[in-house]
Amino acid sequence: MLSRSAQGLYWMGRYLERAAHLSRLMQLQVETLVDRPLREIHFGWNRVYSSMNQHPPAGTLEAFRSDDYTLADSYTLADHLTFESTNPDSIWNFFAYARENARQVRNYISAEMWLSLNLTFLRLQGLTIQEIWKTAPESFYAGTAKDIATFTGVADATMYRDEGWHFIQLGRYIERVQLSASVLLAQIAAQERQDESFDADWANLLHVFRAFDAYVHTYSVVVQPGQVLDLIVTDELLPGSVRRSLEAIASVLDAIGPGPSPGAGREAAALSASLCVTVRDGRNDVTSWHATLEQVYGDSRKLHQHVMDAYIAYPLEALPAR
Amino acid sequence: MDFDAYDLDSAFYDEMFLPDGTPRIHCRSLHESLLRLPVEELVRMQERVTHSFSSEGITFTVYGGEASGERIMPVDCLPRILPAGEWQELETGLTQRLKALNRFLADVYGPARIVEDGVVPVDLVRGCPQYRVEMRGAPVPHGTYVAVCGTDLVRTNEGFHVLEDNLRVPSGVSYMVANRKAVKANLRRLYRSCRVREVEHYGRMLRETLKELAPREEDDPCVVLLTPGVYNAAFYEHIYLAHEIGATLVEGRDLLVDGGYVYMRTTSGLQRVDVIYRRVDDDFLDPLVFRPDSLLGLPGLMGVYRAGNVTLVNAPGTGVADDKSVYAYVPDMIRYYLDEEPLLRNVKTYICRRPADLEFTLDNLEDLVVKRVGGSGGYGMLVGPESTPDEREACARALRENPADFISQPVLDLSRAPCLIEGRAAARHVDLRPFVLHGRETRIVPGAFCRVALREGSLVVNSSQGGGGKDVWVLGD
Repeated sequence: MLSRSAQGLYWMGRYLERAAHLSRLMQLQVETLVDRPLREIHFGWNRVYSSMNQHPPAGTLEAFRSDDYTLADSYTLADHLTFESTNPDSIWNFFAYARENARQVRNYISAEMWLSLNLTFLRLQGLTIQEIWKTAPESFYAGTAKDIATFTGVADATMYRDEGWHFIQLGRYIERVQLSASVLLAQIAAQERQDESFDADWANLLHVFRAFDAYVHTYSVVVQPGQVLDLIVTDELLPGSVRRSLEAIASVLDAIGPGPSPGAGREAAALSASLCVTVRDGRNDVTSWHATLEQVYGDSRKLHQHVMDAYIAYPLEALPAR
Repeated sequence: MDFDAYDLDSAFYDEMFLPDGTPRIHCRSLHESLLRLPVEELVRMQERVTHSFSSEGITFTVYGGEASGERIMPVDCLPRILPAGEWQELETGLTQRLKALNRFLADVYGPARIVEDGVVPVDLVRGCPQYRVEMRGAPVPHGTYVAVCGTDLVRTNEGFHVLEDNLRVPSGVSYMVANRKAVKANLRRLYRSCRVREVEHYGRMLRETLKELAPREEDDPCVVLLTPGVYNAAFYEHIYLAHEIGATLVEGRDLLVDGGYVYMRTTSGLQRVDVIYRRVDDDFLDPLVFRPDSLLGLPGLMGVYRAGNVTLVNAPGTGVADDKSVYAYVPDMIRYYLDEEPLLRNVKTYICRRPADLEFTLDNLEDLVVKRVGGSGGYGMLVGPESTPDEREACARALRENPADFISQPVLDLSRAPCLIEGRAAARHVDLRPFVLHGRETRIVPGAFCRVALREGSLVVNSSQGGGGKDVWVLGD
């Protein structure tokens, strides 16, 4: 397929994953506004921003002043992360970018996928923070996450499993690995500062990865940080685990093949295989995960570059003579 | 829905009613069905159509100002009907006209007999900015310079006239199909009873046409559609057509020239391209030959083209034949090349490069339509009767500065058709753009994109200027 189209599908997958991830974080975050202490709310906002590799806008979250200040800040931050068109990391923009990419590759995705994505985009166009804040903002974020889940289901049911499909999956899982590593690293950093007990947040983290029930089932109702990380990173049955994402990447790369510029293609395959090994075993220890997750994060960025070099922006000199 | 307050005006041909208010024979069943339908139902239908266009992203892009952005093409859900006989005449006339225009292009880029014989003035051809010297002697498969043509027709009380030939990158065909799909779904029983001829096979016809023009004998030549990109007004149409003809939708940056051939960059390496259905203007095709600042095209493309290793559809330089001054000579071309009388009328045209025509235009600005010879899309034209003194002043200045840039025509009494406006039937001006294809042979789908000037009294049908669309039903025998 056309390289630029593969790239469009890849980025569509990435942006939708980003939108899903941010919607889930936001849903949990606005839930904390109802009954959690200020310190926890502040931590939550910082975690949302750091998982996007950003800082909260200047002037917000400066001190634990009062409920009123924190709630006012929360409104501003929610708007910034949801509807702000000048913020490239807002949910609004993630959908706009995903749709823009989808529009250009409409002929590679199913009509049902396009319709589903376009309707979500149009729904978002008509909303503002004032409106969603009036009632239960968490239901808006839950709805957005559900729209993406619907899109994924529609894609699963209707899209031909050709190269286009593989590039969407590649984008989706590379993005998921990066975002997961970012959130986990933010959580570990807070734990290592040890300025507060973060028991509640480790449980909250399990919710981000939809892993709470699995955790209770596998371990116990008492949440231990080391075990949380083991589950989220290494579990082979948890749909959102880092391990499953990395294995998905390896199998997609295998399906696509090395591409016209085999060097980068083989490097991508080798890197994803070695990452799979890295996250296979549990450690039951927060500190030892720190370095590993840094490596996963860095390598997933390299993986992205290899994919670009192998299939999209490959050097022409490396090709056989025509 | 009733037509009690419908404003029939004998100054304009009405597409549904005779001057005495009775429906034309071919419109009787439509008229009867509409009388039976509660107007609320029609309004709901209109809303459903608009909603489905929005959900499916059937949009166009408007340039400039605050109103720029993606827009839905407004569709009026009352179809316009053309009886079989009338269509047959149009089809014959359009075929004749395109044949002559292709002969003209082969001539002006070849021996230039028509100029030598003094039928068309030499300066008009060679001085036309759309005349491309690079095309002289270039090999053009089957002499088909124009493979896709979207002729603008208008009807007055005297009959149909050709308003423009649109031989470069005509658009609108996707709306013809989209309008049909939407209206058909909402007027099912009526549609069935009227025995309307289908238009959905346009894509297949275009595919056949493009294949016939491939530069090498190949069962399945590689056809691509070259788009300026996602911000182009007609991007939806590009997506739609690429899908229908099974072509890859490419931009200039996806292509490269190597060893005398054009390739596209794919995930499995470079793939040779045979036919480029380009929706990019000549100026932007090849920065080495045309505009050096173009980022949309492909450096070296014209070299490959001239070597006969890739086909461009339409060929570069076809704009010399749909230039608004050259237009005036099309009836003469038909007589000259085909030795036939033109079947379709032209509109009386004043070519402002002629001093007498310029003077006439300046003296009668209030009654004329003034157009730029190379313009399109309704941008930068003056409709005399609708203009303000300031606009006429500005137009007169532009005319004096560069008369060769303009032509003028009398304001035509464009026919009107009933449209659903604010919950009632109202008459609005319409035009008709059928699409003619020509590879080895001529192919025409029985249908057209009918544009409607939705503002009351307006004559400007362009979608960029507040126009909308209508489905056109060509009836079977």
